[in-house]
Amino acid sequence: MAASPIRHALVAALLVLPALASAQTVRGTVTNADGGDPVPGVAVSVPATTIGVRTDVDGAYEIELPPGQRRLQFSFVGFRTQDVTVPEGQTVVDVALEEDLLGLDEVVVTGLGTSVKRENSALSVETISARELAEVTTPQTLDGALNGKVTGAVVNSNSGAPGGGINIRLRGITTINGNSQPLYVLDGLILSNDAVSNGVNAVTAAAGGGNASSQDNPANRIADLPPEDIESIEILKGPSAAAIYGARAANGVVVIRTKRGAAGTTEVGFEQTVGVATISRKRGSRAFTAALAEEEFGASGLAAFDANGGQTFDLEEQIYGNEGLLLTSNLSISGGTDRTQFFVSGIVKDDEGIVEGTGYEKQSGRVNLTHRLSRVFEVDAGANYIRSVARRGLTGNDNSGTTFGVGLVSTPSFIDLRPGADGVYPDNPFNSANFLETRDLADIRETNNRFLGNGRLTANVFTSATQSLQLIGIGGVDYYALDQPSVFPVDLQFEEASGLPGTSVLGRTTNLNTNIQALAVHAYAPEGRQLSFTTQLGLTAFDQDYNNVFSVTNGLISDQQNLDQGSSIQTTQTRFFQNDRALFAQEEVNYADAVIVSGGVRIERSSANGDVGRYYAYPKAGLAVNLTNLGLLESDAVDLLKLRVAFGQTGNTAPFGSKFTTFGTATIAGNIGLDLGAQRGFADIEPERATEFEGGVDLTLFNGRVNLEATAYAKSIDNLLLNRQVPFSTGFTVETLNGGQLRNNGVELGLSLIPVSTDLVQWISRTSFWTNRAEVTQLDVPAFQATGGGFGNTLGSIRIEEGKSPTQIVGVDDTDGDGRSDGVFALGDVSPDFQMSFFNDVSIARRLRLTVFGHWKKGGEVINLTELLSDLSRTSADFDEDNDGDGTPDGPQRLGQLGVTARPFVQAASYFKLREVGLYYDVAPSLFGPLSGSLRTLRVGVSANNLFTITPYKSYDPEVSNFGNQAVASGVEVAPFPSSRAFNVHLRLGL
Amino acid sequence: MTPTLPRVALSPSSLIGVAALALAVLASGCDLVGLDDDPNPNGLSLEEILADPSEARLSNAAVGVETSARTGLGTYLVSVGVIGREYWRVSPSEPRFTTDLLGKSEATLNDNTFYITTPWAARYGTIRNANTLLLGLDANQTLSDAEKAGGRGFARTWIAYQYLLNLNLTFENGLRFIEPGDDAAGPIVGYGESLDRIAALLDQAASDLNGGTFFFPTSLVRDVPAAPVDYGQINRALAARVDAYREDWQGVLDALDDSFVGAAAPLTVGAYHVFSTAAGDIQNPFFFPLDGGGDGVLAHPSFVADIAPGDERIGKVEARTEPRTFDDLTSAFDVDVYETPTSPVPVVRNAELLLLRAEANAQLGNAAAAVADLDVIRTAAGLDPYAGPTDTAALIDEVLRQRRYELYAEGHRWIDARRYGRLGTLPIDRAEDDVFEQFPLPEAETSDPTA
Repeated sequence: MAASPIRHALVAALLVLPALASAQTVRGTVTNADGGDPVPGVAVSVPATTIGVRTDVDGAYEIELPPGQRRLQFSFVGFRTQDVTVPEGQTVVDVALEEDLLGLDEVVVTGLGTSVKRENSALSVETISARELAEVTTPQTLDGALNGKVTGAVVNSNSGAPGGGINIRLRGITTINGNSQPLYVLDGLILSNDAVSNGVNAVTAAAGGGNASSQDNPANRIADLPPEDIESIEILKGPSAAAIYGARAANGVVVIRTKRGAAGTTEVGFEQTVGVATISRKRGSRAFTAALAEEEFGASGLAAFDANGGQTFDLEEQIYGNEGLLLTSNLSISGGTDRTQFFVSGIVKDDEGIVEGTGYEKQSGRVNLTHRLSRVFEVDAGANYIRSVARRGLTGNDNSGTTFGVGLVSTPSFIDLRPGADGVYPDNPFNSANFLETRDLADIRETNNRFLGNGRLTANVFTSATQSLQLIGIGGVDYYALDQPSVFPVDLQFEEASGLPGTSVLGRTTNLNTNIQALAVHAYAPEGRQLSFTTQLGLTAFDQDYNNVFSVTNGLISDQQNLDQGSSIQTTQTRFFQNDRALFAQEEVNYADAVIVSGGVRIERSSANGDVGRYYAYPKAGLAVNLTNLGLLESDAVDLLKLRVAFGQTGNTAPFGSKFTTFGTATIAGNIGLDLGAQRGFADIEPERATEFEGGVDLTLFNGRVNLEATAYAKSIDNLLLNRQVPFSTGFTVETLNGGQLRNNGVELGLSLIPVSTDLVQWISRTSFWTNRAEVTQLDVPAFQATGGGFGNTLGSIRIEEGKSPTQIVGVDDTDGDGRSDGVFALGDVSPDFQMSFFNDVSIARRLRLTVFGHWKKGGEVINLTELLSDLSRTSADFDEDNDGDGTPDGPQRLGQLGVTARPFVQAASYFKLREVGLYYDVAPSLFGPLSGSLRTLRVGVSANNLFTITPYKSYDPEVSNFGNQAVASGVEVAPFPSSRAFNVHLRLGL
Repeated sequence: MTPTLPRVALSPSSLIGVAALALAVLASGCDLVGLDDDPNPNGLSLEEILADPSEARLSNAAVGVETSARTGLGTYLVSVGVIGREYWRVSPSEPRFTTDLLGKSEATLNDNTFYITTPWAARYGTIRNANTLLLGLDANQTLSDAEKAGGRGFARTWIAYQYLLNLNLTFENGLRFIEPGDDAAGPIVGYGESLDRIAALLDQAASDLNGGTFFFPTSLVRDVPAAPVDYGQINRALAARVDAYREDWQGVLDALDDSFVGAAAPLTVGAYHVFSTAAGDIQNPFFFPLDGGGDGVLAHPSFVADIAPGDERIGKVEARTEPRTFDDLTSAFDVDVYETPTSPVPVVRNAELLLLRAEANAQLGNAAAAVADLDVIRTAAGLDPYAGPTDTAALIDEVLRQRRYELYAEGHRWIDARRYGRLGTLPIDRAEDDVFEQFPLPEAETSDPTA
């Protein structure tokens, strides 16, 4: 390109004069130490200056070394950074980069526009690579793929239903009534993670009884994201790291980066997975005899027993015994030139569940483009369209006997629910529904259409040897339209019996998230000093517009489902709009990669606050001291010893509407009335504030073969959003207020090893340990049952109480053994004592690769009410056994304790799960035969998900939550969708 | 020399780009800085109504009193009817209907469980709605005095009735009273004093209703099947019930004189909660399918066992195809009082008033008058006129018996047995079951520091 004279003049005018003195040009090629292929895109820079270039398609580079500078640094994602001292006079420097097997040289986020090398970070930031996330086996959803992989997180699957529904809590309990889920940011776009109930409560009436919380078991919308498209996930676990995200970040931030193309040959990857899902664990059922049937259910029981000639059926197998076919196809194409890189992917997933008719489908298409317009401008844009369909069945609690789960436990094994030769399903005499009929005839699904778009424009406005200024504009949009139709035809047993047979439910939700960020990043490295400063200023705007319309029609015309095909239509609508605005500033000072100090503040206001004009400030600070780079440590064994300490604050904005006391409406005799809602508003509502101090040591030994990361943190949350129960005599039942304090203390340890590294065998091992202790240190209200914290003290409930763990389980108990309840006592705690994860990856001859990922949760209890319901219906498998040897069979013994003690329901829920196992083989190119012209790589493999679980827990899965994602309360089980295990066969082609 | 890789690049084209970027940021400036402070999009707020208590809004508020009076009604009927051994509520997913409420084994009534918290909170919710109406009436500038008086009488009648229903649950554990506009209720007041205050509220409401007019529609008064009943008469009917509970027998008779009691009128005349399938409306919460195997209401076997031959009220229960056994309880009958999802639930009706009059007369020694009213009830049920002894004790036995059958599944038997000290006569179904006398106050009341 011909440069214009004006441009030359400008260059001449603005160019730094000192550079003219005796700058030296150095050039060379960067290759992969393993194999010798050129590596394009490697950052080549002069430390302690702002000078840097990238290698081209052939791995070649050319850079100016300013006078007095002799060092060059080579860094690239996935490789260990190399520092090279260029001897005087040498002009060619070729470098071979080693793979970064332990992720020691990753960069981690420090600001909205900046990142630093992990080595220089004052924080513990967890990074999960594509390989760990989605390449061991094929996870169904993103949230499921994270389970067990995040040190410091409690990840809990709410049920085994297809399509997600997973609770993620980072570093303990951060809220009691606010939003408890982390903030998800994808390529700068703030994602929606709503969990929208599908409204089957219209049939189950689950919320009508002892607990008004939603028990529809919704999936979080983060489940839509295909894990296959993700390059890496960084997890900012606590406020020290997450302060840059302000008032939405109190629960931590999950920063997702999708895959990008790289300059060079266009790569085409295709993967096909075929698998099967089966129930991972059954509960079993009581063996009935004629005598037992009569004893338990009287003459009618005996008659029912005899009606089938004494035959018994494995009802659990009938409902949960489906062998679900799992199919995932994934095609990706990536490549590009020096200036333009692209990544295109298409994913089609069609998974069946372990209940016939249930399943999860997803189709996703993504395009990511990066283009350098000029030396100044770079644009990066991504677009993703996702369609997902979840058919999650009807499980969990009910008050109408309609769910599969309650139906199963209430039906003794001598009942035959299968349809007769005429296709007619018999009525279930032991429940209001024949769950096989409901499974086959009802249609419960949710279909989501979602678009994610994000763009980033970077302007390198100014660059000199000592300074650079970058302006960055980021915009994103996340729109989804969710349809949740459920149809219960008139012929269903419970519909026939109802006054208005036939129910059609339709929920329609649209949500639009938009966010804009404008940033300026200034870097300054004064010449001749080993100092650099990075200054960042910016503003962000986030808007959410949510609209949910939900209708139920009863009294359907046979075989029809449209809302106008029934005699009674009920409609509700919920809208909310939230605007958040923030300004932030941040400064980082780096002295010779040895001492790194950073500080910043974000000020933010939100329309959800009582005072919408008020800015709340969230500061942060960090200090990292690299003793190795400081020269204080001279040891061949020690590559890196870093001490770090950080502080930060984040907020958690009150749920929309907390400031209002709102009237609901109801009609009677055709007139509309105003009925004051049960929640008393709090006009001065403020965000919660989380404050965290974090400190740690990072140690790397023996040429990167051993890496230890140890972190301790103390996190307190003040000004808690409390949904306290008020005396009902006020006419309200709850109100939200600010008050009280929670504290979390925790330790996180990560040990990464390369125990064996030879040409033949390479073994990478990562072991993590984490533990957290939470306490309610101050509570300005009387102790209360957490939202979704169970069904009252008789059955055990999760109680928020000053001086106690926020996840403690209390219940009635008989302390003196007189067979009477003596009051309410602490009986357990949902939170585990500690967790550990074990990730081992062994590759042999660089062709065969075995990956094993195990997860151990030690301690923690779950309130198991499935067992209670099956005891009440006399169907528990161990009803007649006497496991404690006291002469009383277990079933009657447990039933006799009902109302006396809740102890039988509070059950140990430790587990060890072999979550993922994968074995892959790369077929040697010499065997490609006629395909060798087109085929680049061929990989075949087998994998398993949830291969086995070891637990003392007495139901399907100790990972369970009847109430979905609650801030505090998980771990209440009522007849859930059982968990499944999956086996997969994989074929991956590289073209 | 010209560097091959210039470190500075500010060409005109890039300057234009920078300007464009800056403009883009500025153009979106309002979005980046501005913030909306919207009212709640999902409904009127309390503050909005009190700031502008227009006639239309207050009319909606009045209707809201009647709509909300139905909230939790199903649970109330379960709580009092199960303890009163009228029926058993069985549910494969909710054990406490047949454990706690029946006192199975060592189970007791808990103070934080739905069977007390749901109806208790719902009744105070209605009181709150009625109190909001009272506040609005005070602040309104357009309604006439008669309209305001009518509104106040309406609100206070409802408030009194809601207190009474909660007092039925907690009995000697008492109640808390809350005044319009107050953020917290007063201290706990015992049974006797609570009844007196409820009676006083009803009296105050009666004087408001006398001469007051309604500017809002009401659905409570049902001409079932004839004879319009006005709110003042409903007020007196409720006052008669309260007086009976207070054992002020002359008071019962006086109140009944101003009520809609009538020996010649159908027994069903009265005030009812109504239901429909219309949008925004609710259906009868005590409607359960017959002959079901899941959630349902089984008639207590004693209802059938104890019924007099020829009593047509046997139609209030329906024989099942097969008897049902649940949690060691077996019954061959379902309750069939509310036959459709839109069947109305009585607040107070003529049959109760006749029986209240019979009871008061029996207590006052007016045996003939008592028998006359009893015979209206008996005849309507297809029974012969009363031929038993006419001493007070015998007549009270007969009144309670007729109340048991006539007002079956309308929430009376437990309270009647309690006020005559006859809880011990209620049947015990399983060896260690208990008949509880009263519910504990909800934990939310007793744990409140202001209590």
